[in-house]
Amino acid sequence: MTSETDEVVARRVQGGESEAFGDLVERYQGKLLRYARKFLLDPDDAKDIVQDIFIKAYQNIQSFDATRRFSPWVYRIAHNEFVNALKKRKASRTVFAFDIDTLFPHLPAAETADSATLERDLRKTLDEHLQRVDAKYREPLILYYLEGMDYKEISEILQIPISTVGVRLARARAMLRKIGEQSTEL
Amino acid sequence: MNEEQQSEKSSSVRSGVMDAIQKGRIQMRPRWHFVLLSILALVGVLILFLTLLYVSSLALFFLRDSGVWVAPSFGMRGWWTVVRGVPWFLVFLVAIFILVLELLVRRYAFVYQKPLLASVVGILILIVVGGFAIAQTPMHRQLALSARHGDLPPPLQFWYGDMFRAPQPDELYRGVIISIGDHQFVIVDPGTGTTTVILTPRTRLPYGEDFSVGASVVVIGDVVATDTIQAFGVAEVDN
Repeated sequence: MTSETDEVVARRVQGGESEAFGDLVERYQGKLLRYARKFLLDPDDAKDIVQDIFIKAYQNIQSFDATRRFSPWVYRIAHNEFVNALKKRKASRTVFAFDIDTLFPHLPAAETADSATLERDLRKTLDEHLQRVDAKYREPLILYYLEGMDYKEISEILQIPISTVGVRLARARAMLRKIGEQSTEL
Repeated sequence: MNEEQQSEKSSSVRSGVMDAIQKGRIQMRPRWHFVLLSILALVGVLILFLTLLYVSSLALFFLRDSGVWVAPSFGMRGWWTVVRGVPWFLVFLVAIFILVLELLVRRYAFVYQKPLLASVVGILILIVVGGFAIAQTPMHRQLALSARHGDLPPPLQFWYGDMFRAPQPDELYRGVIISIGDHQFVIVDPGTGTTTVILTPRTRLPYGEDFSVGASVVVIGDVVATDTIQAFGVAEVDN
């Protein structure tokens, strides 16, 4: 694998070096497989879906603007594929419905003194209880905590306002905490 | 899943994709395909926006032409007249077009990064301001006059005729003053003929009572005798 940036490699693919696309597949297949497993909760068809994502990415690579970052672009394709997969399974009702949170502006949530501690606890319970969170809230959790993306990148991938990303993450954290507390009580 | 399985899965993803590329089973779409799609999307947005401007300006023109425009200056009763005099079909059309426009522009980052309400209100402001500006030009008036004389081709003839206008509210009259008497005047309207308007001390005159022959007025009132109305409110408007 070369040390070139994703964008430089993508530009080479756009220029006709199809083999260079292998480098991009190499760089992202692990991440996308993890994203697929966590989001779709079904490891069986994750490989096929991720393969479809790369095929779509290759077919549409000429639409990628190489002056921008490659990562949100390919994750956007992944998001669309995953949503289609969930639709086929009818696994989630809320991920496709109109989202009232995108309608109004939201203020960022205030940080509290115990935020860092809560964040640590949250990361611990994330893996354990992620599958119990609805897809609409599960996805920003995966992108933020597991894929290490910031609000702006998540906003680009999900095509929602940055403030809505904050709202969904806040609700997702609250859900996780509640689930964590319930399982501790049991 | 352990690391070995994960690694095996990863390598088969890569080999599957690269195999399909090398054997030509999947093709890269050419750049012009995306350029063409972007141009078509932009042209679609532009056409829809111009259509919206046209329809909203026509709705505003109908409001102005019927005289409903000034009715709110008469108070609550005036507002009720407005509700009945609004061309609701055109308003419905504008709402549908705004939703479609919002769906078309939602793919652009400068739109989806803002709350939906902000972009819809932004579009609404552009449409109302633009529609108001177009409604001030003589375009609609000239076309409406041509339609009245039957000089327009069929689609425009219907468009500027009565088809999309709200029915004129019963209590609303518009005409040109042809004579002025003691506490009354006579107006003439090409559609309804002459009407005598009686003014009482309770008649609302938001823009004053300095009427003159030849002035164009809008009257809200109740019929008290044949071709005679007692005015609830009278306002002079542009000719």
